[in-house]
Amino acid sequence: MAVAVAHAGAVDHRDHIHPEPEGFIAKYIFSIDAKVIGVQYMVAGLLFFIISGLLAEVVRTQLLTPTGAIVSNDTYNAVYSLHGSGMVWMTIIPLVTGGFGNYVMPLQIGARDVAFPWLNLVAFWMFPVAGVILFSSFLIGAPDAGWTEYPPISVQGPPGTSLWCVAIFLIGISSTLTGINFLVTILKMRAPGMTFTRMPLFVWAQLATAMLNMVATTALAGALLALFLERQFNVPFYDPGRGGSPLLWQHMFWFYSHPAVYIMILPAFGIVSEIFPTFTRKPIFGYKMIAFSSIAIALLGFMVWAHHMFTSGMAPWLQLPFMILTMVIAVPTGIKIFSWMATLWGGKIEFHPAMLFAIGFLVTFSFGGITGVFLSAVPVDLHEHGTYFVVAHIHYVLFGGSMFGIFAGLYYWWPKITGRLMSYKLGVIHFWVTFVSFNVTFLPMHWLGLEGMPRRVAQYRPEFQFWNDVASVGSFFLAASTLILLYNMAQSLLHGKKSPPNPWGARTLEWTISSPPPYYNYKTIPAVLKNPYNFGEPLPYLGIEPQVDEDGKAGVDPIPAHA
Amino acid sequence: MAVSSFNQSHDAVMARYDAVDDVYRETRDMRLLGFVLFLVSDVVLFSAFIFAYLYLRNSVPNWPPITNTGHQLPRFDVAFAAVNSCVLFGSGATMHFAMENWKHLNKPAFNLWMIATIVLGITFLGGQVYEYQHVAITWAGSTMGATFFTLTGMHGFHVFIGIIYLITLYIQANNGVYTGSKYFGLTAGTLYWHFVDVIWVALFYLFYLM
Repeated sequence: MAVAVAHAGAVDHRDHIHPEPEGFIAKYIFSIDAKVIGVQYMVAGLLFFIISGLLAEVVRTQLLTPTGAIVSNDTYNAVYSLHGSGMVWMTIIPLVTGGFGNYVMPLQIGARDVAFPWLNLVAFWMFPVAGVILFSSFLIGAPDAGWTEYPPISVQGPPGTSLWCVAIFLIGISSTLTGINFLVTILKMRAPGMTFTRMPLFVWAQLATAMLNMVATTALAGALLALFLERQFNVPFYDPGRGGSPLLWQHMFWFYSHPAVYIMILPAFGIVSEIFPTFTRKPIFGYKMIAFSSIAIALLGFMVWAHHMFTSGMAPWLQLPFMILTMVIAVPTGIKIFSWMATLWGGKIEFHPAMLFAIGFLVTFSFGGITGVFLSAVPVDLHEHGTYFVVAHIHYVLFGGSMFGIFAGLYYWWPKITGRLMSYKLGVIHFWVTFVSFNVTFLPMHWLGLEGMPRRVAQYRPEFQFWNDVASVGSFFLAASTLILLYNMAQSLLHGKKSPPNPWGARTLEWTISSPPPYYNYKTIPAVLKNPYNFGEPLPYLGIEPQVDEDGKAGVDPIPAHA
Repeated sequence: MAVSSFNQSHDAVMARYDAVDDVYRETRDMRLLGFVLFLVSDVVLFSAFIFAYLYLRNSVPNWPPITNTGHQLPRFDVAFAAVNSCVLFGSGATMHFAMENWKHLNKPAFNLWMIATIVLGITFLGGQVYEYQHVAITWAGSTMGATFFTLTGMHGFHVFIGIIYLITLYIQANNGVYTGSKYFGLTAGTLYWHFVDVIWVALFYLFYLM
């Protein structure tokens, strides 16, 4: 990115730097620094990822045999319900918004922190509390109606279902506050010269996500409050025997949870949009189209929720508009996919682990997107609804999409966050084990679904056993692949090579400062002259001044190592 | 004591508003945007329940609904609610006068209008409690009761928070926290109070007039 010194000569109030907090607790536990909060989100999210992942392994072990050997049917229901809830609300959403959003977004717009640091602190601490509440529901009878908790089953469900309501309500409030915080940060705190069309694409993605978080999440809060009141105080909202309607829940739930799909995937789009140009050494293809299509997806995302309800007895005249609008969403998504492919075209591709995961993302997410178009067609959906085809689809977009994006982002920003490099070789092995075992796990589920195996069952007909066993064995390798990542991370933290400020030669602002960045991020707020994907233009950049540390000596060369 | 002597020109008020340092101006802009976004997300929360109300209302042939024992529930008492609504809308007007007087540096009038707003707010809440005690339906008895008590209860909770907020602002304003240029807290309080008013317009129409 072309960088110049801001406000030459004049002392600007932006140059005011707050002193770094002293002491372990102020520095690392109740910090208001967005970078520390981002890392806190990542650590907690990774922990919940492991817990939810182990629950998935219980599911797959149970399904090794048609009669289900290891847990009772009731426990099985609780296990898959908490697997889904844990992965969606305690893993992916906090990691992509709270984790990468907090760490990377303020750096990329040249800000010292988010707009409301104390609000950020409050929003973060709601997340681990919500996670503990969610998983502690196992102690009093965990929710057993799946992550969607449809009434009337959820109304009659075990006591833990109320804890589920509280936990998701809390994480929802946290998301709303983070959304407000990020919107104000992005709209008001960009470095001088960073117009909208000079914003990095990750920031565009966070902008669209923050809009969704701010508007959609309180609708879920309403639905959860109503469910909680019905369970605890017998207030009729969903009970059809007393004039309520189970469909009401589905409308309110999906009005949030369909946009939540985009909350989970848009930041991953942003992550790979940073990685593709960096590792192809090319300007990104269709910058504006990628940026605007994020906003288009966010807006369209509010108008498609009822495609989850084609078989729910919804008014039939609503089916066609929702089907068409759902298919329309494939257009902005396709624009992104083709733009990324065009970025790869003719590029000098470096198969770094981050790039491998980004390419893997392109393959698996496109696959999941295409099965999504299948499911949006009413006649197909009537056949596939509630089968393993849906399970396969959701895992291709959430694991093959969001989680691959998270892995890519982790490899990409790890040196910036920790100041150390990860093992390249272990990263490549991690990618290939993950990619292959992912497909071995989830590809057969399409066939199981097409043959009619229903989702959320603890036992199944014997003829489905072969592909279930294949999926289960694949999932064991998938779990093992995470160990490679954890080993690589530990190895890097203990013995990793020190990272230069800009190990990949990327051109967004965060790479112009030391790794890890100082507390105040930027000694001088940089001024931005161009969008950050101008690879191929001659170096050095225009009007550049090296960022220096507070004592003025440990200057950092902002020019990329091998650009 | 003149209670509403807006004896200064609009330009003078705006000049004072702008006569702040850069840090305060940027912080004020960000807080204002953040606060408005917070109110938007709060509107969505109310909208979710309003949607639930309309959905449940339209899914039965009669409204007020007919219970399982076969009798139709009564309509709400419009007359009492209309009077109570006027109390709340009146408090919106007094809040406006309080804010305008603050901008025109008329602190005694500001105090008077603030106290009037707080008193009207408490009166409205008292009216709500009275209505809850005398209404013929119960929270858990029907979908009508469920939506009515949940929505008006949520609104009443917002009014309650608003009253605490206004009392805090009153104390702060009389202890030199705000000046003629720097009064973002008062702006936010005014916005919040008007927001509570506007939500009530929707609820009054939906429950009493529709």
